[in-house]
Amino acid sequence: MNTQHLLERFVRTLAPLLLVLAWSTAGAGTITGSAHDFSTKAWSGGRICVACHTPHKADTTTTDAPLWNHKNSTATYTMYSSATLNATGLAVGGRSKLCLSCHDGTVAVDNFGGVATPSTFITAANNLGNNLGDDHPVGFAYNTALATADGSLEDPATKTVTIGTGTTTKTGTIASVMLFAGKMECSTCHDVHNTFTVGAAGTGMVKISNAGSALCIACHKK
Amino acid sequence: MRDASPAPSRNPALPGQVGRAKGALRHAARLVLAVAGFAAAVALAATSVVSSKHNLSISGPGAVKSPSETEICIFCHAPHNASPSAGLWNRRNSGSTYVPYTSSTAKGVAGQPTGASLLCLSCHDGTIALGEVLSRGTAIPVAGGPAMPAGPGRLGTDLSDDHPVSFAYTAALAASRGELASPAALTGRVRLDATGQLQCTSCHDAHDNTNGKFLVVPNIASALCVTCHQKGSWAASSHRNSGASWKGAGTNPWPHTAETTVAANACENCHRPHTAGGRKWLLNYASEETNCYACHDGNVAAKNVQGEFTGKTSIHPVGSTTDVHAPNEPAVAGTRHVECVDCHNPHASNGSAGTLPGSLAGVRGVNRTGTEVNPVTKEYEICFRCHGDSPGKPAPRTRRQLPDNNIRLQVDGTGPSFHPITAVGRNTNVPSLLAPWTTSSTMGCGDCHNNNSGPGAGGTGPKGPHGSTYAPLLERQYLTADRTTESPAAYALCYKCHNRNAFVTEGGAFRFHKKHVVDERTPCNVCHAPHGVGSALGTTTNNSKLINFDTTVVTPNSSGLLKFESTGTSRGRCYLRCHGDNHNPESY
Repeated sequence: MNTQHLLERFVRTLAPLLLVLAWSTAGAGTITGSAHDFSTKAWSGGRICVACHTPHKADTTTTDAPLWNHKNSTATYTMYSSATLNATGLAVGGRSKLCLSCHDGTVAVDNFGGVATPSTFITAANNLGNNLGDDHPVGFAYNTALATADGSLEDPATKTVTIGTGTTTKTGTIASVMLFAGKMECSTCHDVHNTFTVGAAGTGMVKISNAGSALCIACHKK
Repeated sequence: MRDASPAPSRNPALPGQVGRAKGALRHAARLVLAVAGFAAAVALAATSVVSSKHNLSISGPGAVKSPSETEICIFCHAPHNASPSAGLWNRRNSGSTYVPYTSSTAKGVAGQPTGASLLCLSCHDGTIALGEVLSRGTAIPVAGGPAMPAGPGRLGTDLSDDHPVSFAYTAALAASRGELASPAALTGRVRLDATGQLQCTSCHDAHDNTNGKFLVVPNIASALCVTCHQKGSWAASSHRNSGASWKGAGTNPWPHTAETTVAANACENCHRPHTAGGRKWLLNYASEETNCYACHDGNVAAKNVQGEFTGKTSIHPVGSTTDVHAPNEPAVAGTRHVECVDCHNPHASNGSAGTLPGSLAGVRGVNRTGTEVNPVTKEYEICFRCHGDSPGKPAPRTRRQLPDNNIRLQVDGTGPSFHPITAVGRNTNVPSLLAPWTTSSTMGCGDCHNNNSGPGAGGTGPKGPHGSTYAPLLERQYLTADRTTESPAAYALCYKCHNRNAFVTEGGAFRFHKKHVVDERTPCNVCHAPHGVGSALGTTTNNSKLINFDTTVVTPNSSGLLKFESTGTSRGRCYLRCHGDNHNPESY
């Protein structure tokens, strides 16, 4: 390999990364540089994905968990309730369970395949605990019937929203771009991979800017 | 977890300058999109919290808002770590001890605020900075803050001038209080909370200011108030139906509403749900009559009733006491007092004519036998509340042979003689009566006791016994001092119904009237008790024709006798001494 070739290869390899870094400073696009980029942590071995995923010998017992690598929580959760809540079936199932394997604070962030002594726990406001009564409900079917019963919710089948920013956007109904199997989950508002997110690192990896509380009023017709 | 859609393609390896330019373009495009999106959201949300004063973020329309914070919901809600959790609340409880509403007729006992009301008060009691939210380490800066500035929205911790909240609105409450809708009927926009309590949220929707004041329904014509408060005679009341508006002079009668007619203001003509000057019963003003004067001073209502009270010497003294009237006081006033509402029911008053004018509709009273009636059907039944059996009445104005200050007993229709108020009079020989009066007529207290500038006196002022320059609250002059020179004016009150000719010329039922009234200058009042003589005191022989002598003028004769004896139609004799003349007896 001559120098020219090496340089070309260097440019081909690094230029997209540089571009990605440029994106990430603007807040969205990829997991790199996001709050979920663990590559700077000693326990990650410089890897990003490892805390959650593994290419081999993955946990196949957890549903909705592609190539899952993180130890799951066994906590039982208290779900949100209120006298005026119309949604039913609130539960930590499916995708939200994956989030809570770190965010309920009972399992170390570094408790995944290959780490001998997991010791890094999530802290502060990011630690939701197992009392989710003070957190927005998840796990419920958000459909037209619920919107009608509530009276101040947008109809997820017809209300169109745009998630993400710049060219990394997706537009569709609430049901198509924010719900999962018709349910509201953590990933309705948050994008764990920072793909369709807005805002800089540390601003919650939300899919719609909350300036003007736009994220909230995407669904809440207040 | 990765979304199913393909990852967006990125332009690889753009040489520096082009990349920077494109990046800047993208950034600009993102900004435009974001701004446009937000503008669209605001436009779509014309009736939402976004366009209301409850948007305390930088995009809010009010003067009190953050100069920097862009999130709207954050001032009250947070998606995580909320407290209390229901409603995902993001503000702390103020911990204040509140003074709740109370009145002598309140059945719903308002204790300390609970539930949603407590949440509202975390801003509206003015003790917590508006920007102090649980999810932020430091308070969000708020211009006009930090706490809610003084104004109608800042209720403070004294809630005794506010509509009660946080009480159980039960069927039993509605039944015992009366004139309240059944809680089961509150299925529309006005609702109770999940525990059956009335809260701020029963009337207000913090997210929707479509109706102003965040009301759940418009309060034009008090549509909101009457959802619960169902006053029996309200439908016919002038205070519900009158289209009268402010003529512009004096004080604005409706300073706290935007409505411009009596009908549109309805309840709020007199009441206000918050910051009520009167506190009890949420009256606009603590001084009861001031609530009435706001319109009845000639600036809204056609007639100036206030002027009768403030400009006359003989009045029903509504202005001399405050806070002595209670709606649930006994019909026979135990502690004599008078407020406008002792005679008028503002929830029922109307302009209809009749033997009982609409202005006296829906009022409690006492009938001629001393029994409570509700509502009254006769004017005198109102008067008897204070001028009949009440204790503490002043001494009679005239010291009479048969002293008595219970006017109910004097005119109850059972005595030997009486002005025909509760029944047709006894005397069938009254030739002095002017048409249309006959001995079969009955009359009202108001035929003698009335404003001296009202239509009864030939004036243009309001009707009713509010105020007069002639004591005791007489429509016309009635002089009672001995040696009064007779004139049409001196006894104008009597001459309203009794032809003066009968008294200034010889003849008539008592042919010596002229001698007494004109020559001897003896007032009518010396021989006649104007109301009557009660059955327990007088006799038909001695006290017909309202005879009950003024003992400061008329004294016993040389035989020690002081009496009148009727001896037949137009015939009688007197035993007495008067103006030095000994009647022992004198006959006619």
